[in-house]
Amino acid sequence: MHFNLVDRVLEASPEGATTLKQVSLAEEYLQDHFPSFPVLPGVLMLEAMVQAGRVAAASRGLSVPLVLGEVRALKYNRFVPPGAAIRAQVSLDEAEPADTLSFRGQVVLVDSHSGDPGVVAASGRFTLRPVQAGPAA
Amino acid sequence: MTRDEIFEKVREVLVEALGVDDDEVTPGASLTADLGAESIDFLDIVFQLEQAFGFKIQQGELFPENVTQDPDYVQDGQVTPKGLAALKERLPHIDFAKLEADPKITKVAEVFTVDALVNFCERKLAA
Amino acid sequence: MRWMWIDRIVELVPRERLVAVKNVSLAEDHLHDHFPETLLPDGTRRPAMPVMPGSLVIEGMAQTAGILVGHAEGFREKVILAKVTRARLDRDATPGTTLRYTATLVQQSPLGAATQGVVELFDHGRPGAGYAEIGRIDLVFSHLDRNMAGVEFPEHNFVFSESFRTLLRSSGIPCDF
Repeated sequence: MHFNLVDRVLEASPEGATTLKQVSLAEEYLQDHFPSFPVLPGVLMLEAMVQAGRVAAASRGLSVPLVLGEVRALKYNRFVPPGAAIRAQVSLDEAEPADTLSFRGQVVLVDSHSGDPGVVAASGRFTLRPVQAGPAA
Repeated sequence: MTRDEIFEKVREVLVEALGVDDDEVTPGASLTADLGAESIDFLDIVFQLEQAFGFKIQQGELFPENVTQDPDYVQDGQVTPKGLAALKERLPHIDFAKLEADPKITKVAEVFTVDALVNFCERKLAA
Repeated sequence: MRWMWIDRIVELVPRERLVAVKNVSLAEDHLHDHFPETLLPDGTRRPAMPVMPGSLVIEGMAQTAGILVGHAEGFREKVILAKVTRARLDRDATPGTTLRYTATLVQQSPLGAATQGVVELFDHGRPGAGYAEIGRIDLVFSHLDRNMAGVEFPEHNFVFSESFRTLLRSSGIPCDF
């Protein structure tokens, strides 16, 4: 599996970003999640928001790799099946220090064929921070 | 514990469970309309209140169970007088005045205010 | 890629605590994307920096805690992750390290359960240092059939699949569900 949860960047600014990810049965992990009931794992909805956050970070001129440092009140409301798409919409709450970005985000389940505005599949807050490799020295 | 102290603890629980900021948690704030709570949050709130205060909350004691699915209590998108009576009886910690004035099913969730939670905890602790 | 984010259960105290470990290895595909060698705006190359994504660390804890909850209920309920109440990850796991997840059951009801968890990291390059805490993850699980009226699911418990049964068996935990 390629760990890329952004198929298209719809909007990008220093204050936030919106990205699109399509969900396909071709994605192997769906066979395990779950057998006979394939749905996008909740943590991949979170990862889609993280990757949207990195798009916003790039708009702010940050080039160091940023990873997930914190999550708050992230809840899941809907299953996302193959054939659907999700829009990850993140907006910046705070950048303190400059390379630690706190976002509010939501993942919207979209059905591109019906033109429906979409329903929120997940929402919550998270923070990105620079990589801290390995246990503390 | 004073009502103020109870309010502070309830506020901490709601900030943690709903990811809102301290100043958003005002006594009159509705959990759903103002603080964005959804059904899974109600479960989390029950769990966290139990942990914070040390009492046990039975299913349906804090938030109503099955009332909205019961055809005796809800008809044509409105809560019936029987439904209102049942809600008032089961949930004495809640002020149903607004719902009585406009008994639409969509308005039920709005009665769950921060104040209602504080009332509930006060009653539980006094029992 | 298999959706299995823990390798072995090392301790189970029923209805209380479950401890599981996950080895982080360069054999895993996702590490090659997270992060790959990158060409920087100034023309220099930043070398590849393989680190375990935080979202997959959360999944590791969710699987650890999910088995704890499921086991406590005899695997009768379809236990699914409904909420990440809070997660904090201060350090990142690199290839050649092992993650250890300790999940504790703190609340249980007919509708679901809540767990608290600690994440630790062991560096095989410096074994003398032992495991160090790198984060905490608190979760809420929902019992599917009780909580989603109107949605259709298969009858059988598809959450605890063959992969999980293999994990339990190879960790020496009897499972007769």
